[in-house]
Amino acid sequence: MKHFNDFSRPEEYISPFDRHFRNVIRKHLEETVMPFRRQYDEDWKDHHLIEPAFDKLMGELGLQKSLFPQEYGGWGLAQSDYIFRMGYMLSEELGRADTGMAVALCVTFWPLLVIMIDPFVNERLIKEFAPMFCNTKKAVFAANAMTEPQGGSDIENLGLLGGKTIRTTARLDGDEWVINGHKLWPTNSGGVAKLFGVPCTTKPGSNDPDDFAFIFVPADLPGVTQGGAYEKAGMAADKNGDIWFEDVRVPSWYRAHGPGDDAKAFYQLISFGQMASCAFLTGAMMNLYERLYEFVSTRTYNNRPLKENDAIAGIIGRIAGDIDICRILGHEAAMIGDRRNKPYGKPLVSEDVVGRIRNIKDFVSDRAVENFGKAMDVLGAYGADRDWDIEKHWRDIKIIQLWMGGKQLCQMEAARYFFNCETL
Amino acid sequence: MGKNLEELFILPRQLVDEETKSVVVLVRQWAEKEILSKRMEYRENYSTLFVEARKKLHLTIGLQWLTLPEEYGGFGWDTHTNAPGITGVLSEIGRADAAIGVLLAMKYALFATIAMTHNLNKKLCGTLSPLYVSDEIKNPVLILPGPGRAGQETPLFLGRSIGAEAKATKGGYTISGTDLRPLSGGSMADLFCVVCAGKKGTPCLAMVPGDAQGIRRGPSIKTTGLNACENAEITFDAVAIPKENVIDRDGVVEELYTWLNLLLGAVSIGAGANFFEILADWSETRVIKGGITLKENPLCASVLADVAEETALAKILLFDLAHLLSRPDHWDSNGRRAFTFSEMIGSRVQQAVMRAINRGLELMGSAGYAKEWHAEKHWRDIKTIQSLLCGVGAEAPVKMDTARFFYNCTEI
Repeated sequence: MKHFNDFSRPEEYISPFDRHFRNVIRKHLEETVMPFRRQYDEDWKDHHLIEPAFDKLMGELGLQKSLFPQEYGGWGLAQSDYIFRMGYMLSEELGRADTGMAVALCVTFWPLLVIMIDPFVNERLIKEFAPMFCNTKKAVFAANAMTEPQGGSDIENLGLLGGKTIRTTARLDGDEWVINGHKLWPTNSGGVAKLFGVPCTTKPGSNDPDDFAFIFVPADLPGVTQGGAYEKAGMAADKNGDIWFEDVRVPSWYRAHGPGDDAKAFYQLISFGQMASCAFLTGAMMNLYERLYEFVSTRTYNNRPLKENDAIAGIIGRIAGDIDICRILGHEAAMIGDRRNKPYGKPLVSEDVVGRIRNIKDFVSDRAVENFGKAMDVLGAYGADRDWDIEKHWRDIKIIQLWMGGKQLCQMEAARYFFNCETL
Repeated sequence: MGKNLEELFILPRQLVDEETKSVVVLVRQWAEKEILSKRMEYRENYSTLFVEARKKLHLTIGLQWLTLPEEYGGFGWDTHTNAPGITGVLSEIGRADAAIGVLLAMKYALFATIAMTHNLNKKLCGTLSPLYVSDEIKNPVLILPGPGRAGQETPLFLGRSIGAEAKATKGGYTISGTDLRPLSGGSMADLFCVVCAGKKGTPCLAMVPGDAQGIRRGPSIKTTGLNACENAEITFDAVAIPKENVIDRDGVVEELYTWLNLLLGAVSIGAGANFFEILADWSETRVIKGGITLKENPLCASVLADVAEETALAKILLFDLAHLLSRPDHWDSNGRRAFTFSEMIGSRVQQAVMRAINRGLELMGSAGYAKEWHAEKHWRDIKTIQSLLCGVGAEAPVKMDTARFFYNCTEI
């Protein structure tokens, strides 16, 4: 083992495009992001440094159009059998460089996947939104406006609550939806996104999936107001803020699919988000290994390199071992997604898939939080230094453990799935 | 939150007298008036407010000279029996701001090696006291042993590399060392208390005035937390200091570590207590599953219980250490017992507070991550303290020190 590339992954799962695509992305990130990432924290509000980096990555390199079909100028990845695994590869490489950028980019895919993944495909909306993303060299972001002030993780807890707590309403008025509500914290809010995917209810208080609506709302419509970006512990490249929808009108066909199917297509998103979270974390941990390797090889205890001390070797050995295991598990999460609808797989809209992928994400998150914290302690007096990058990852990745319902929801999903709990 | 912290977390009252209690209350009032009630402003105008708040604490309340002997103009908390009181004071400061607490902890740790009744260094105290009993804030910082560099053999303090050297000259000593890392506050230091290698590589302490010739300060270092005390690497180019500025009695470095473990632990339990308050408020006002408050959900309640348990046990453990230090008759002759227990407890306390905050953040979710709630600041500050206290190699050096004491290991 000499290179972060060598952490295990099931080779038979890997896409044939992986090597080439990964090399292109990695080279790009090593040139345009990694040398500058230590300055990102101070750039959280204005994105003077971060925005040009996104332009290169999403616009010039073209990642933002990758899901769209080739006939609309995209790369057609959404219809690939490898979409989860390619998503994993991309998220992992991004996570190695900067998890804030990783989430901002991947969340742009998130609402679009609601209308692009079989069996829930909406050709009319794909055609409608493709030019926004495919015909520009500037970065264009989308956001999934889920969380609401009163509900915390309740929206992600769709399996149990069925959208009962959603207070953002969608009312059909002629051939338009009228949206009212308040959302918090979406990635790419704070003035960044041009397009929102908005989970709404057509009947407040209902837990009938037919009353759940996923509606696309362009950010520049009258009645959409965005607050400024929140100041956070990390994730400077990802802006979050409040969004208010006040009598916002969109065409009726901006609803993703219709009663029942909106909830199913949205439910599919959960697994994609959890899988990508695993990849952000394993990518960040691969970079942890790189930086830690350098420190423990060049710094000493008892006048010997740290890595040559048995006690310290025990600590760093565990860290590397965890990274290895987490990467295997992360790829398994991606493969669960790509087995969807295959004779040997399970549909994404199933407790089986959601429960298992959430479970993997919970495990990988815990190991990542633990290992970054431990690595900072290995660096000791230098652990909190920006220059060693580990502390930045430590700050950034904590939110990954907390988002999408956080740890406790993951535990509940696991309990429900494995023990057939009926009332949790 | 319906209860106050004193009702919830046991303060061993038998360890603190009336005078101590009144000082603790005074500091608590300062914390609430100057920091806790101004946190939103504090985010906007950090450096200015920090200086003003510190002036009130150090000079108006007088904590700058709290542990100096009365005959040198100090408040006279200069015996071991004051250990619990100092712990109480620093935990109140940590509840407000860990960075302010760390700066003061370094000051008290330094004074503990020169100004306590059993080790009073009259000459050094006579030199330093007028500077500290004054109307200016003074910032002594510590430079401790840490990681060495591969290929460079250095003198060691229990495995940790000593980067500075104290060389005897006719009139005193010269201190040399390159890119040394202060614990914190290197940019603002007016005195460096440096662990140096003395004669035959034996560890000693050198007091190097911040304005001495031959000191170079590097650019300020961006760090995870403790951002109010700006740090920088320090280089000493044969800095001349008088003879009395070097303390080379046996066990002095262990003594410095012993106090530092206690005092930084105090800062951290204070920060942990404030995190507990923030979380308790949060858990009473947030609902899940469409209407149940967080604290009434069994899974969330078990996480809340974890936070309370870690916070409470860390405090009990730390006051046990303070009690141990207040009774030198419980130490062994060379201070190794006190040193070992302070390391074990210091390490465990930092882990406990860090675990409490990590668990609590799980419940707070994104709010815990936003600066608005101030929870994340405690998280960053305490992690920074924990890593600093590790020095190098995570918990391994403390384990080695512990194994040496309990098992007489000689080769590790």
